[in-house]
Amino acid sequence: MTERGTIGAPLLRREDYRFVTGQGRYLDDIAVPNCLHAHFVRSPHAHARIVSIDIAAAQKCEGVVAIVGGRDLAQWTTALRMAPPIEGLRPVEFSTLPIDKIRFVGDPVLCIVATDRYLAEDAAELVTVEYEVLEAVAGLDQALAPGAPRVDDGLSDNLISHQWFSTGEPGRCFAEAGVVVEASFRQQRQTHAPIETRGCCAIWDQGRRHLTMHIGNQVPHPYRTQLARRLRLSESQVTVISPDVGGGFGQKIALYREELTVAALARELRRPVRWREDRNENLIAASHAREDVVRTRAAVDGEGRILALELEILEDFGAYCFYPANYLARVVAMILSGPYRLTNYAYDIKVVLTNKCGNGPMRAPMAITSWVMEGTIEAIARKLTLDPIAVRRINMLGPAELPYRMPTGLLLEDVTPSETLEKVLAVFDMPAFRARQETDRARGIYRGVGLCCVVESTTYGSAFYKAAGIPGSGHESGWVKIEPSGAVNASVGLMASGQGYETTLAQVVADPLGIEPDEVQIHIGNTDTAPYGMGSRGARGGTAGGSVLLIAAQALRDKVLTIAATLLGLNTSGELRLSNRRVERRLGGLWTDSGLSLADIAHTAYLDPLRLPPGMEPGLEAHRAYDPPPMTFSNATHLCEVRVDVATGKIGLERYLVVEDCGTVLNPLIVRGQQHGAVAMGISAALLEEVVYDNDGQNRSGSFADYLLATAVEIPPIEVISQHTPNRRTPTGSKGMSEGGVMGATGVLPSAVNDALAPFGVVVEAQPLSPMYIRALLRGSQ
Amino acid sequence: MSAFPPVPIVFKVNGTTRRLLTAPRRLLSDVLREDCGLTGVHVGCEHGVCGACTILLDGAPARACLIYAVQARDHEVTTVEAFSAGGELSVVQQALHEEHGLQCGFCTPGIVVTMEAWLNEHPDPTDAEIRDALSGNLCRCTGYHNIVAAVAKAAARRRGGDAT
Repeated sequence: MTERGTIGAPLLRREDYRFVTGQGRYLDDIAVPNCLHAHFVRSPHAHARIVSIDIAAAQKCEGVVAIVGGRDLAQWTTALRMAPPIEGLRPVEFSTLPIDKIRFVGDPVLCIVATDRYLAEDAAELVTVEYEVLEAVAGLDQALAPGAPRVDDGLSDNLISHQWFSTGEPGRCFAEAGVVVEASFRQQRQTHAPIETRGCCAIWDQGRRHLTMHIGNQVPHPYRTQLARRLRLSESQVTVISPDVGGGFGQKIALYREELTVAALARELRRPVRWREDRNENLIAASHAREDVVRTRAAVDGEGRILALELEILEDFGAYCFYPANYLARVVAMILSGPYRLTNYAYDIKVVLTNKCGNGPMRAPMAITSWVMEGTIEAIARKLTLDPIAVRRINMLGPAELPYRMPTGLLLEDVTPSETLEKVLAVFDMPAFRARQETDRARGIYRGVGLCCVVESTTYGSAFYKAAGIPGSGHESGWVKIEPSGAVNASVGLMASGQGYETTLAQVVADPLGIEPDEVQIHIGNTDTAPYGMGSRGARGGTAGGSVLLIAAQALRDKVLTIAATLLGLNTSGELRLSNRRVERRLGGLWTDSGLSLADIAHTAYLDPLRLPPGMEPGLEAHRAYDPPPMTFSNATHLCEVRVDVATGKIGLERYLVVEDCGTVLNPLIVRGQQHGAVAMGISAALLEEVVYDNDGQNRSGSFADYLLATAVEIPPIEVISQHTPNRRTPTGSKGMSEGGVMGATGVLPSAVNDALAPFGVVVEAQPLSPMYIRALLRGSQ
Repeated sequence: MSAFPPVPIVFKVNGTTRRLLTAPRRLLSDVLREDCGLTGVHVGCEHGVCGACTILLDGAPARACLIYAVQARDHEVTTVEAFSAGGELSVVQQALHEEHGLQCGFCTPGIVVTMEAWLNEHPDPTDAEIRDALSGNLCRCTGYHNIVAAVAKAAARRRGGDAT
């Protein structure tokens, strides 16, 4: 497939030097002269009408340049209308800043611009906003209760999206089934918590009527489209530049209201304006994620075979829709059956608005999927007193059944679920564990082992977006240029927030060009330089971005060799190749130097074009777009051994093992890092993280002392065994990866805890698996 | 800031004596970043939890976001920039690179500073001890696994032992 094998090499990252030495260039490291600082006054209430605003005292504060609110922004910007033509989804529209009503604790009411951040915050203390407090919709049940207060006054109730689906004959199966098994799952509200919070710096050039927006962002071009539209500018009047990004995880995709406000103010004030939120703002007002109550019903036979499955999802989407509200839960429903055989299937998904921070995608938007499916399998095993491994095996798709059309129409191919399951079981000595478990139980030590089989939807092609009713495209664009000196530059619409693209994408480009990855410079994050691409989200970077650059580099290689053939007086380039920056020619079966270098060809292409083949365009540039298959899948089996202290409810992780098959990898070192990171994010959420709102809709998790992230002590060593079954439809055989670890950890921890606590007859149905929750379950069992 | 007129402070930053005027309420993290240009001091939480702003105050790790700049008067501050002053990576920096112990890199300076100081006191740590020492630095990307490996490698190299 590749000539020199730079794809797949475990190269160390080229970007590391600047990061380890403190020379990374994040947003706050960009000095902009004469820059003003923005600070937002936020609502202390969950749901309230704005009665009056008094800014007189604040305006007199030292350094204050402007104080603006919703009415000002409405003159300068366009409201966000989220109304894609999706069945079951209701259209919504909201202004840039609230005008009459605030909808959650942290909703921005005013923006204060001052000469420095301290002074802006001083002025905020002197602003008086009078509110008429309304009853808050603080939870799922309340949102759907008859007569509930309405979060969005433009809707008749809080049900923002309702979608359902049925295929096969689930009704008949349930009517005839000998056994029906029910299970339920509650995934808590979470937030991304990148260590670098949100921020931006907007510079308006009045002379050119051009806006430059510096912002750490995962999707610079779609962001530019939004920003230009809402500022009523053309896309050619806006440049978005993303510097190094201190973590994204899905939080740095949407155009947030604060950012739009800052951009509008830069234009109105004709001064650069910058904004950096603090951690409290990030935790309560940036973007939240998840919060679902899920129920399954399975009709099964006596051996645990699933004859039909029903899924019900109720999701709390918060107060504002920066994304179509159906989008995240819908993916869960579409891929639920994962590695298992299923024909008769029905789902019902309700998404509601509440007086909480708006939701968005977070690393593995479908994180709950594997927990729900594996938890259902284990519920079946419990009900029928079968071995849960046996129930997995009897339902799992075997190699001969693949490719397999899932009940929702997705084509599952080139996955190896039974292989990863059996590999985990071969590595982990289950009989020895069971013996140890029994001995220790007698001593009051409760050990458990959990399993979780994961099928991760990775790279979404345009066909999936269309089929799932999600607006957008799955394609990616890239260009590769060999400059007149032979130097190689490349660009793609992705933007990195730690994925190491400057290394892996250089490996991809170098491969067909016969050069070292160090000789390729990757330019990303500037919308004037990079081609319009869909950016970094999901697990698409390697497959969508890597593939397009491979195709572009191959096209350029072909052009180089065609030129070389002409210069050498050959009719065809079939016996030529690039290696070590030289053109080589095969003579008598041996590759020998042709006397031409890559730089010679580049010089000819740019500076001596009359020597090119007739009709050939001068220069060496290739610009390509690539639309991946509708969906690619990676798969894995996770195993975790835990020890539960039944006196305190504390869960300790004794061993964590993953066998993952993510196809061809561009750089195994970086892939391993992504696997660790995904698992850790899943463990952190399963054990610790929770955005807590009280009954009045007050946010109780506004600091890192309340919203707990796992440290190096809670995360165990993570053993990963990699398998590499290539995807047959992608140019490199890659599938995408980096979210499945979250899915696996989310599912494997409840499985392990249930195993540990089996003697007490308790089953965990909610996360996080906090000591308080575990103790409450144990108290209930006594 | 008229209610809080600037006061002069003198302190040593990465071996160089700095004299500057600052309002007494300004955080050391802000002064290091904005007045001294040391942008390797990263501000991640401003309440002392995440560890990204960790510096050495008289050789001991401290949170620059929990210290007013005036409190550093007459003290010695060391930031991540000091560890590669000659362009060469420090032992911990090099090991983090080799073990892929960083992704987005935002938490990395705090980890470099913390671990360089900690290894002075703990030359031969176990993995569990490394994890405990690292627990004051939040990393959202790596899952810590490779950071622990890097610190273990750095410890071995500093001892002159097996560096592979």
